[in-house]
Amino acid sequence: MLPAIGSAGLAIDDVADRLVAALGADLADVRVQEPDTVVAAVERGRLHDVAVALRGLDGLAYESCNFVAAVDHVSRFECVYHLYSFASNTYLELHVEVPRADPSVATVSDVWPAADWHEREAWDMMGIRFEGHPDLRRILLRDDWVGHPLRKDYVDTIDNHPHV
Amino acid sequence: MGLSDGIGFKALTDRVQYPNLSQFERPNVITTTVDFIFSWARSHSVFPFTYGLACCAIEMLSSGFARFDVARYGMEVFRPTPRQCDLMIVAGTVNEKMAPVLKRLYEQMSEPKWVIAMGACATSGGPFYDGYNVVNGVDKVVPVDVYIPGCPPRPEALFQGLLELQKKIQTMHIVPPVPTGAVRPQTAAGPAVTGPAAAGPDAPAVVAPDAPGGATPDKVRG
Repeated sequence: MLPAIGSAGLAIDDVADRLVAALGADLADVRVQEPDTVVAAVERGRLHDVAVALRGLDGLAYESCNFVAAVDHVSRFECVYHLYSFASNTYLELHVEVPRADPSVATVSDVWPAADWHEREAWDMMGIRFEGHPDLRRILLRDDWVGHPLRKDYVDTIDNHPHV
Repeated sequence: MGLSDGIGFKALTDRVQYPNLSQFERPNVITTTVDFIFSWARSHSVFPFTYGLACCAIEMLSSGFARFDVARYGMEVFRPTPRQCDLMIVAGTVNEKMAPVLKRLYEQMSEPKWVIAMGACATSGGPFYDGYNVVNGVDKVVPVDVYIPGCPPRPEALFQGLLELQKKIQTMHIVPPVPTGAVRPQTAAGPAVTGPAAAGPDAPAVVAPDAPGGATPDKVRG
């Protein structure tokens, strides 16, 4: 296994320690995934503040949002943000729980513009609303599509298939 | 327009007769039909539309390059605009969002035009048959002339499809089929008209074609 030493000379355990020191109140279940990833959970209401703080973290700035994933756990949804720090050459995986009754979470597209289309895809496929998103339209399916097809309880309708 | 429209495609193609090539020798004059000249020219200068949607497109590109060389059949000029094309090779998976776009592009092509469904996806949805966003066969959107099986089909399979399409093009008629011996009443008002409605009480008997395909091609070709 390669040692995960970035340009800042930080081992991944040191990165986790620094993250806890800086944002310990907001990060839960912090654990290290060898060789170069820190995994943490964030409260839904704190996501945007944490995102701003992470991006500006001195020497450990998570400047890149690689992708935003959405997971359907049936009882709840979960958004997963994969962030990358050029300064330390490490990744951070943020998990945010989203209740099924109110599938919404604050957008981070103003913090990382790359998140814009990823959040549109999560809306399109999983039906998670990203509050404050500048242009939350469907991105892959037709605009008049009914439902969000990657949800576990999705039922397809004939309205979605005018050519059959 | 599809092959399954019951017109007896095989029987028609069997009747296509090219003039003997020896007729092209001196005195450099051949006698043939307008139908033959047009279908000969059309079938050997098909302009395909660059419509690659998935991995079939890689095979379609491969067909165009030197190893397989679709230019041997006079079909190498892939055009990026539908207005310059008469053949749409649908090479790949058509999804619900693409379907209206595909239909519009098909409608922008000028007549006569043909469609080849290349590969399993364009034919029936293929491995994505149960997908929520996949059109199960491009023939649900536009009429298809030739279906090519395979996932993806090799260039040889595409060529066979193109050659089948050539045969089909060669059965087309420029001149409307008229039964041999039919009389065309010529009036001063306009061009020749056939059919019982056009015949006056004193006009000679007109044998109207009972169906568009009523005349056999070999009789028309004389």
